[in-house]
Amino acid sequence: MTASTDFLPPGLLEHLGGLEIIAKTVVRGFQAGVHRSPLRGAGEDFAKHRDYQQGDDVRYLDWKLYARTDSLYVREFEERSNLQSYIVMDASASMDYGGAGGVAKLRYGSYLAAALAHLMLGAGDAVGLAAFGAEPRLLLGPRARKGHLHDLLLNLERLRPGGQGGAADVLDRVGVAMRRGGRVIILSDLLEDDGGDALAAAAGRLRARGDEVIVLRILTPEESGEAAPDAGLFYDPEHPARQVPATPRQDAGYPRRVAEYYASIAGRLRERGVEYVPLLTSEPVEQALVAWVNRRRG
Amino acid sequence: MLAFGTPAFVLAGALAALVPLALHLIRRRPPARAPLPTERFLTPDPRTSVRVSRPTDPLLLALRMLLLVLAGAAFARPAWVPRARGTSEIVLLDRGAAMASGDGWRPAVLAARGQLLGADGRSRGELVLFDTAAVRVPRRHITPALFDSLASAPPSASAVRYAAALRAIPDAARELRGADSVRVTMITRPRWGGWSDGLAPLRRAAWPGAIELVALPDAPAADSALRDTTPKRALYLADPRDRATAYPSAALQATGWNVTLVTPGQPLPPGAGLIVAAAPLPEATAREIVPRAAGGATLLVDAAAIPSLAAALPWTEPARADSSGGTMWFGGGLRLGGAAARVGGDARRGAAVIAAWDDGRSAAVARRTGAGCTVVVGTRLGRGEMVLDPAYPRVLDRLAHGCPSPGNHAGDDAPLDAGARAVLAGQGGRTVAAGAARAGGGVALGRWTMAAALLVALAETFLAYGRKKPA
Repeated sequence: MTASTDFLPPGLLEHLGGLEIIAKTVVRGFQAGVHRSPLRGAGEDFAKHRDYQQGDDVRYLDWKLYARTDSLYVREFEERSNLQSYIVMDASASMDYGGAGGVAKLRYGSYLAAALAHLMLGAGDAVGLAAFGAEPRLLLGPRARKGHLHDLLLNLERLRPGGQGGAADVLDRVGVAMRRGGRVIILSDLLEDDGGDALAAAAGRLRARGDEVIVLRILTPEESGEAAPDAGLFYDPEHPARQVPATPRQDAGYPRRVAEYYASIAGRLRERGVEYVPLLTSEPVEQALVAWVNRRRG
Repeated sequence: MLAFGTPAFVLAGALAALVPLALHLIRRRPPARAPLPTERFLTPDPRTSVRVSRPTDPLLLALRMLLLVLAGAAFARPAWVPRARGTSEIVLLDRGAAMASGDGWRPAVLAARGQLLGADGRSRGELVLFDTAAVRVPRRHITPALFDSLASAPPSASAVRYAAALRAIPDAARELRGADSVRVTMITRPRWGGWSDGLAPLRRAAWPGAIELVALPDAPAADSALRDTTPKRALYLADPRDRATAYPSAALQATGWNVTLVTPGQPLPPGAGLIVAAAPLPEATAREIVPRAAGGATLLVDAAAIPSLAAALPWTEPARADSSGGTMWFGGGLRLGGAAARVGGDARRGAAVIAAWDDGRSAAVARRTGAGCTVVVGTRLGRGEMVLDPAYPRVLDRLAHGCPSPGNHAGDDAPLDAGARAVLAGQGGRTVAAGAARAGGGVALGRWTMAAALLVALAETFLAYGRKKPA
């Protein structure tokens, strides 16, 4: 089975066929085929010739013109302006948790990321991939070309959970890597050591640049308290030395404290104009996406 | 059909298998360590252990329970026994000389026929004819005509050796097919001397089941001639101060002996047909009485006098206390209990065992000495509770006539020893069934069950070793 079919089963593609990700914030680019970008670049429509400069891609040299004029010119095209998007995947150790018989959060997030990438690439948007966990990494720059989806899915497949790093560093790097305002989709359980302060701040910085920031919070029913586990000696995978004997199923305060934590983060994010979408791994991926897009359409 | 030799072990194994289950469910154990990324929101639970309400490792628990059940089953001696297919007969028909007397032969043949032939005239088993040797009659020849011809022909003139018949039983049983048990019937006129020859190997290879004995009426005694000619005067050599001499002398007098008490060392009166040596003898006396025995008297030596006459006696060892006494068994069902002590020793070559202890070892032996007879008894004749036994006078009289009469077959007066008695009673060491012994038995599964238990134990070991937290 190829990575594509692994991440995008036919049922999922079928559900997502009529969906569009509609940008809510102002972006500099326009969707391909609808808007034209004032910026020159590698697009489909020829714009003009210019002198060759060192560093230019030799693929764009106009050899016929060189034969006639004995001078090197490169062809410039009107770039089809696309929305640049980054999918930022949380690959910390806590994302390896899947609860009792459920899918791990990292896997669930990968399904989501793959579906979103497919949708965005289908709409002509350039999609990049970043991850954080053991270390912040920009895995793939935003591309809209054919075959990029395969690369992206391959990188998602290679992600291994580990470490306890926060999202703030990688968000800052994404901000630097994106030349203009775009879209940043963060898939994470948001279990940050600082309670999400750095994450909210980094997301705020992106919003200040004009980027659209969406946070898809992924949690299992066991973590949210909907299906809290029975008695056990529990430990945080990101801090395995620390363990607590507890009976979450009989602890009425547990789901309340979890809800309060995420409500706090959601509040801080929304204050900064960041879209916060809580998801549970018990919910089918396509169903979650449909519900989310419908909410966006309002 | 699965059968168990000791079914109680199966029950014990099943009950033992409940122990790990109970321990598994009853005991409290520390909670299992489990990841939970939202651990920071938990409130520590003061309980440090939880009761296990359901098996946490069903496979390991099942293996442990299975191990105990298999171990119990292995100890229960399981066997796969084919469905019962009836009982076959083995008839041992005595055709020795004793069967000819008193018109015993024809009833014996008819009894064998009734035992073996069914209503359709077909044989239900095997027929073994025996005297000094045993011959198995081929199954196809066992017909009504065979029994007619047997009844019309006289039996042989040979003595009987029951040992030969017993040895033939396993061979005959191997020929039986289609039956899962065998009933052995011996038709004979009991001549207990027939047991003596070859009983030692029989103890090792005796038929494990009981043997039904069809005893024909006994023929008139053949040794009466010797009794009639026995002199009735007896000399009793013992210390007159020994009060124990009173019992044997009185018993001998009760059976018709005229007993004279003689102190060892005094001259022996002439003409006695029986000399009883019941005390240590001076050398002169010893030298005197041995020729008396060769001259036609019977010399009866008890344990106290054996050392004085050791070289001249048909006894292998000097008198030495061996163990506590017991019961002496003589031929013809005569027995004497309550002997106080016995001495070690056995019959020399040429001597006949005329009495045996419970364990089959020799209690009394006899050997002809010229015209007379020498009898040795491995115990003190006047000691112990045996003097109070009603059979005491008869026993002394039997000892006084210890040597077989010339017309008798060798060993006819020999006792039915312990091995023979065990074979007849089905109580021998190798007895496995009373009344009927299994032929072919079944397939013993004890070793296979134990092997299965060992495999389960290995699997349990590997599984438990592989578990991070064994249940």
